Amino acid sequence: MGAGTLIRPTPLKSSPLSQQRPPPGPPTPGYHSSNSISIPRSSTPVKASSSLNSQGDYRGPKPKREWVADWVSQNDDVVRSLPIYVGGLSLLAVLVNRTISGIAPVADASSSQSRADLLTLGLAVTNILNGLVWLSIRPKSVSAVNPEGVECQSICPLLPDFISSELLWVWESLSDATCCRSLIIVYDKRVILQIGFATASSNTHDAVVVDVDKLMKGSLYQGALKSKSQSYLANLSLYPAKSELPFLPPNTQAVILQPLGDKGLAIIGGDMIRGFTTSDQAWITLVGEKLDATLAK
Amino acid sequence: MYAFFLQICSNSIKSGLRMSGTALSPFPLIPFSFPPDIGNKSYPLTKFPTRKLKSLAKISCSRSDNSSHSTSQQQQLNLSVLRFTFGIPGLDESYLPRWIGYAFGSLLLLNHFGGSDFSAITPAQLRTEVLGLSLAAFSIVLPYLGKFLKGATPNNEKSIPEGAEPIFLMSQNIPDTLKEDLAWGTYVLLRNTNTISVLIFIQDALCVRGYWNTPKDIPKDQVHDWFEKEINKTGLFDLRETLYFPQAEELWEILPRGTRSFLIQPVLHTQDSSSDKTEMSDGFVLLASSSTYAYSSKDRAWIRAVANKFRDPRNVRLMSALLR
Repeated sequence: MGAGTLIRPTPLKSSPLSQQRPPPGPPTPGYHSSNSISIPRSSTPVKASSSLNSQGDYRGPKPKREWVADWVSQNDDVVRSLPIYVGGLSLLAVLVNRTISGIAPVADASSSQSRADLLTLGLAVTNILNGLVWLSIRPKSVSAVNPEGVECQSICPLLPDFISSELLWVWESLSDATCCRSLIIVYDKRVILQIGFATASSNTHDAVVVDVDKLMKGSLYQGALKSKSQSYLANLSLYPAKSELPFLPPNTQAVILQPLGDKGLAIIGGDMIRGFTTSDQAWITLVGEKLDATLAK
Repeated sequence: MYAFFLQICSNSIKSGLRMSGTALSPFPLIPFSFPPDIGNKSYPLTKFPTRKLKSLAKISCSRSDNSSHSTSQQQQLNLSVLRFTFGIPGLDESYLPRWIGYAFGSLLLLNHFGGSDFSAITPAQLRTEVLGLSLAAFSIVLPYLGKFLKGATPNNEKSIPEGAEPIFLMSQNIPDTLKEDLAWGTYVLLRNTNTISVLIFIQDALCVRGYWNTPKDIPKDQVHDWFEKEINKTGLFDLRETLYFPQAEELWEILPRGTRSFLIQPVLHTQDSSSDKTEMSDGFVLLASSSTYAYSSKDRAWIRAVANKFRDPRNVRLMSALLR
């Protein structure tokens, strides 16, 4: 063999890759062993590869720092107005140059000096215009609004473990990658997950219980399920239908309603107006389909 | 010289809806507790809508509204600016300064050498020419800088490298749930990011999808072993942090030819040993793309989310809270 075969860590054997993992005990109650991912046994003998040391650090090539990209992203405003200053200053410089050299400021192409001046002026104007374009396409900066309410984490206890882990993975991904702060998943006429921020109920300090029947009769739910496609309410305060979602914090800024097949709906609340980008929407659609496939089992 | 076209862009959605009825939910939800580190997240303060800037035979007229923001923010310029477009499809006008820089720069040089005799060149002309050439150089660099500004449209064209064939390879001796997850994960990564090839390697399972340059002389059933050998050579299964190479050429033989940027995301889980937490790697996800700077920070966040799907559930601390 050439560079050696791969380490195949198994839960029962100790190998250099998994030497810090504690040995697995008996399965804890409530966790079905049929859902665990079993590690296949391989028939080829196991040998250590040359790039592994005892701590298991990666020793290959690493990317170098991108200085220009980092600097531009951090100094966004400065860079946007930079071409305007550069263009404006060079415009002035050309005119000053002409006056101090005693040449009349006449724009004709007769002498080579005038031609050079005209070309430089053209470049300066291009820069100024480019700077103006950059300033005009600057995205409006929206700040996040902290949701008013209490944090809650509630999950339906009757679900099998692989579904619960999938639901928690969805929440973790959404809260990490997008501006999502509240997530409610309704499936099969009941709420199976309510996580993140929610309105506090008036008596206790717990979260408001979601009224599923009312929700399902409402137009948001019906509309989303009928269209079978995602519905993005980019600025929730503009929608009177906001009152159908009383369990979300009252200052939730944006909501995505993602239907899960025919039987369910995921309600994703965000803390920024238009906070979910088109890329987020595409990802949420695909994650919704996966969740639907899992829940249907 | 430039053609101006007009398009008003407006978005307003209204809906009038009512609700009625009350009922109680029959299934109470049980609360459970999260590990404390999940709750602390910091959200970036500026996020923005992505605007599609391609317009065919139109002027897009955009206004920035600065009325409703807090005084702590800078006053934004209220510019209604006309965007230049020739109306030719496929022509990217953001590269216009670069072409003008090249054109005018070469004309300046032509003027210098071909305009008049050398003796007649005055210092004033030299000054102008130096200024002009530096402006031309600046204009040439301008589109490169513009690529990193917020709101720049990413180049989403995927070009297929030559000699690469589409393959879809998966290890056989793995449970069906893992197979489905791998198939879904690779599909989603290929579809939603600017990727032409994806490879997921989790503990013992390998899934390869997309365009790869496998050596032609290997029979089909040994392609799997070839991939494993190549992975072994790279030593990537020890990786603990995300590696993003936005501009690299192929470093390893395993990457398809024509890769201009690639990203390796390890699948990690934290392990509480006696003294401190260590992060152990379950495997990694390798994505390769044929354009540079292919993965924005949002793409990387979602790739991390997909990679976390493949964590071994026994090692995830979240799960311990459910076991009551």
